[in-house]
Amino acid sequence: MDVMIRRHGAYVCRSCAQSLPKQLRRAYSATAQPDLYDVVCVGGGPAGLSLLTALRANPVTAHLRVALVDAQDLAKIKSWKLPPYRFSNRCSSLTPSSALFLDQIGAWRHLERDRVQAYQEMQVWDGVTGARIEFDWAPGSGPAAGTTIAYMNENLNLTSGLLKRLEELGGVSMFDNARVEKIAYGEETDEMDLREWPVVHLSGGQQLSARLLVGADGANSPVRSFAGIEAHGWDYNRHGVVATLEMEGEGWGGGHTKIAYQRFLPTGPVAMLPLPGNYSTLVWSTTPSNASLLKSLSAKDLIAMVNAAFRLSPTDLEYMHTQESGQADEYSWRLEHTPFDCQAVPQTVVGVQEGSIASFPLKLRHADTYIAERVALVGDAAHTIHPLAGQGLNQGQGDVQSLAKTIEYAVSHGQDIGVTMSLEPYVSERYAANHVLLGVCDKLHKLYSVGSGPLVPLRSLGLSAVNAMNPLKNFLMNQAAGNGIKVF
Amino acid sequence: ARKLSTTPTRYHTPSSSVNETEISHFSALASSWWDPHGPSKPLHLMNPLRHDFIQTCLSSSTINHPPKRTNLRYLDVGCGGGIFAESAARLPSTLSVTAIDPSPIILAVARAHARRDPSLRDKLVYLNETIESLKLPEAPEDRYDIVSLFEVVEHVDYPAAFLDRVGQFVKPGGWLVLSTIARTWTSWVTTNLVAEDILRVVPKGTHDWAKYVNEGELRENFARKGGQWGTPTVRGVVYVPGLGWKEVRGSEKVGNYFFGVQRV
Repeated sequence: MDVMIRRHGAYVCRSCAQSLPKQLRRAYSATAQPDLYDVVCVGGGPAGLSLLTALRANPVTAHLRVALVDAQDLAKIKSWKLPPYRFSNRCSSLTPSSALFLDQIGAWRHLERDRVQAYQEMQVWDGVTGARIEFDWAPGSGPAAGTTIAYMNENLNLTSGLLKRLEELGGVSMFDNARVEKIAYGEETDEMDLREWPVVHLSGGQQLSARLLVGADGANSPVRSFAGIEAHGWDYNRHGVVATLEMEGEGWGGGHTKIAYQRFLPTGPVAMLPLPGNYSTLVWSTTPSNASLLKSLSAKDLIAMVNAAFRLSPTDLEYMHTQESGQADEYSWRLEHTPFDCQAVPQTVVGVQEGSIASFPLKLRHADTYIAERVALVGDAAHTIHPLAGQGLNQGQGDVQSLAKTIEYAVSHGQDIGVTMSLEPYVSERYAANHVLLGVCDKLHKLYSVGSGPLVPLRSLGLSAVNAMNPLKNFLMNQAAGNGIKVF
Repeated sequence: ARKLSTTPTRYHTPSSSVNETEISHFSALASSWWDPHGPSKPLHLMNPLRHDFIQTCLSSSTINHPPKRTNLRYLDVGCGGGIFAESAARLPSTLSVTAIDPSPIILAVARAHARRDPSLRDKLVYLNETIESLKLPEAPEDRYDIVSLFEVVEHVDYPAAFLDRVGQFVKPGGWLVLSTIARTWTSWVTTNLVAEDILRVVPKGTHDWAKYVNEGELRENFARKGGQWGTPTVRGVVYVPGLGWKEVRGSEKVGNYFFGVQRV
């Protein structure tokens, strides 16, 4: 008796089954159907999370099937909570343009708002000559939007808020605690040809086939390597030292006029950015050996070094960097002999949050391009910048805004969102703008690294001149805030 | 030059609108059809504007028919490699796209390309037919919401009869949407001399200027059908190498243009 073989719901006898075309048999015993996504985003940092939020929040793109892959435990980040007197040491300055975008995608209201500190004034000066530029909006001259220059915010507050908004929107397949084992191309079967679709293989065994694979996976982006895109640039031989600091008060402007400070030392700029209450966050770009010294100091000596960085001469500081300890005494002695306007510098630091001191190496990198067939890069995967202008995270948000808009256009015109023709508008919009900003910050770093010689008085003259020209300053402030006319 | 007259001295209904020379010209381009930087680049760049034009038409639908914006059924005539057909099938507002072309070589390219996007499987079907051989659905409501004819009518020998036949496939309230090129000195210079000979952005031999159709001729043609069709919507577009296609008011008199009519 012939054994009945069930094929697609119909019974077929063995001899007939043998004469069926080979392909049918192959299809029947084929591997499981590929798991197809319109967008697979590798990287759950601010850029990746913003992109998925933007796609989910927009009715035009909300039907796209999207997935997020991250090695961390995203649930822990979402439920992140710190008491009001403790602040994470990784903070970023959010421009009003970034804040507006986050509001438009519905994420801004999910941030812990009393942990976000708007600031209205910036004091920037040359550590060698004292030449200064003050950014503040004279009454009546500010943009209609208000007098805020930017917002200091803990990165975890942002990512936690974005995750909450994503939870509210729903519709994202989350693969967290997941490592990307490899990325390879799909296969051709009778039904479909996925040879140009990237497939992300996860440590848990899942395979995600992506119409568009987004690399939001940081400076050493594996997605960028997969796409064969190179990134060029250089290391600055500098480290950024961060810490959370407690000040003697709320700031010279009180609680309603918060001030950001940056002093350009020959070893690198030292910045003190305001946080709510009596707190500030430190970003001190300096040599690797200075950085290790700072991280090794006792709280008392570290506090003295930070206060010294904003008040004493570069020569004094250079000496204090050679001491293994005892900077506190050295500082109080030298301070007596140094004239300065106490209101032109930050208030005195009185405490440093335990365990908050850390450092990271600084470098400049720019990917040769942001796209490949079915691949797009955003954020640090695309570019890495010197922190001196507080633009890195904002550049990433700018990338995301542009890519989301590009995807929206493609969807509403029936285009395949992954093909380079659909993605090209994103590159045109962002590449040149990012390149210029990377270059400007690079040149500022180099300009202010010079401790003596003709460049010093020249740059001071330039800075003082700009300080005297209000229309130019307003233009610069609007550009930095992201609400000026589009230059690029 | 041809005229869109339905009563030439020796009238005969052609069994096919297909001109064999045209077909073989396009078949030779089959393999490069989907190369966005190849000879079909202007078509790829024009495609988004086709959708914008269709939206313009749909927004101006007459009050005799409730505006239909979803579950649309498309018939794409002369689909070629499927640039428009695929993009129409991807839209969430589309229910189905039937795409026909007389060249089996080009259709093979179209089908192979469509396999690269699994989302098209249930929404897009290619048929190796001419509009004359395609079976006309009996019931008017089984006909199509949108019948598209992009860059086709200037390649057809008897456009009047052809348009009559194509028009039958449009359901009441549906739209016939086409794009073609006006027959003027300017269009000869831009599409033949500059595009084909000088800049070579269009393969030589693609366009026979004598077959271009003027917008006025089309208007007359549809006006003569006893009130079957509404007032046409027309938009002129201009191709600037390096920048792409831009809508330019009035350019329908001299160059490429979109033309849409609604079936009453």
